[in-house]
Amino acid sequence: MRSRMGLLVAAGLGLTSCAQLTQGLKKANLGDDVNRVVVASEKVQSCDKLKVEPAIQEEYALGSALAIHWAQQSGGLMLSGAAEEKLNTYVNTVGRNLAMQSPRPELAWTFGVLKDTERFNALSAPAGYVFVTRRLLQGVDNEAQLAGVLAHEIAHVVLKHALHQYVSVKVSTCKGAAVTGAVVSTVASKVVGASRLDGRLDLDADTELMGKMVEGTVDAFGKGNRKDEELAADALAVELLLSAGYDPGEYSLLLGKTTGGGGLWANHPSKEDRQEQIADLLKARQKETDPLARVDVASLQRPALPAAFAVVGPVKKSTGVAKDAK
Amino acid sequence: MRQWTWGILMLALGVPVTAAWAVKKDEKLYVKARNTRVLKSAAPTADVVAVLQPGQQVTWKGADPKNAQWHQVTEPGGKPGYVFQTNLSTKPPDMELVAKDGKTRTIDPAAFVSSGAAVKALSPGAEKYGNAKGGGYSNAVSQIKTLEALAKRVTPVEIDAHVKQAGLFPVVAPNTKLGAQAKKVSK
Repeated sequence: MRSRMGLLVAAGLGLTSCAQLTQGLKKANLGDDVNRVVVASEKVQSCDKLKVEPAIQEEYALGSALAIHWAQQSGGLMLSGAAEEKLNTYVNTVGRNLAMQSPRPELAWTFGVLKDTERFNALSAPAGYVFVTRRLLQGVDNEAQLAGVLAHEIAHVVLKHALHQYVSVKVSTCKGAAVTGAVVSTVASKVVGASRLDGRLDLDADTELMGKMVEGTVDAFGKGNRKDEELAADALAVELLLSAGYDPGEYSLLLGKTTGGGGLWANHPSKEDRQEQIADLLKARQKETDPLARVDVASLQRPALPAAFAVVGPVKKSTGVAKDAK
Repeated sequence: MRQWTWGILMLALGVPVTAAWAVKKDEKLYVKARNTRVLKSAAPTADVVAVLQPGQQVTWKGADPKNAQWHQVTEPGGKPGYVFQTNLSTKPPDMELVAKDGKTRTIDPAAFVSSGAAVKALSPGAEKYGNAKGGGYSNAVSQIKTLEALAKRVTPVEIDAHVKQAGLFPVVAPNTKLGAQAKKVSK
């Protein structure tokens, strides 16, 4: 009985892209087992309504909670004393200049330095939170390199890569509840409920729901971005650097300091692919005949790091793995 | 394949990628950065004719023959002037309007920026979530709030001063003042 039921569920899920067939089975009324499968299939189809762009409040709630999560996971932020605050002010000056030229200039962009001295890393969260580790800053040679890292993370926020993973968490939570045939938690119940409305969740109103969605999204982060998303973030980063007047070649040099992939980051493109794309994009813009797209490479800058940067400690030769997570 | 991907991305960002999409005279272009200045001549220190906000449109007249980084435009009020190249885009930026129903609305970009209707800082639900988890999370809530306050103090004034010092492009102007610009950077 169980195996027959499983077969029917599987058959029903196979129909999820075929609403008409589900409707046909429903009309045919072929018995309890088939009817249960039809109901499950309808619920799974309804879950696709969650594949909508989250409202800005939803993005802002998720992004803030993820920012808290990243800060906690990295041992906190470098905010002790005037020197560390000055460093954060500098990083915000560089970052906000780039962000105000991005396609999302009106987000409340916030840039911060994480205490982490082990991982050569940069992270971002929806709604405009961007973080770099102290270890990464120790490997940066000039402002153009820092700008490159910040621009790449800004690009992930602009292109909503983390939000897409969040949406997939919503959909899988909903489908899980549909397949088991029972709503096993209040969280699943709310997600299923949203699939019957506009697909959006009010995370601010429910701490449990917020927690589950944040944890689900963090788990999804573990798989890293897709290769095409990383390359798209690099391409937009180059545009932001050119817009502000930085030499994207410096960002490419910083990428060159990174090592390998593998593990959680197996999906990342190789640094050679990323560097090649940056070089190709820059060449294309130099040759551009359109006056709005043409780039004068001679006018691009590689500003020196300010005195405020000294607080990150001695610049060591990079041996870490430079990565980003969203 | 990769070039194809770029092409799509660049078009989505409003960057012309081929001659077929090249900007044409009298075409309308969007301003993309906060406090975009329209200047009397093609020089960063020239008098300010108008200050525009993301999403406002100008009519493109052509690149300056002597300095192609400056583009001649007509601002929405009809006054001619020059805008720095990277302030212009063929696509409008997102304005992140806080609307409870999540729907898109047609808004006046300049009024939107001055209204402070943009996204606010740390959400109340996130703060509650962090404090409920306790330990390092409560500390992280407090640190993010401190960081947001610090970030908010980095205004276009500070950005403009830094940009001048570092020799970067004059994209984000410090204020919305018209007329002659201050001669020296105060930093």
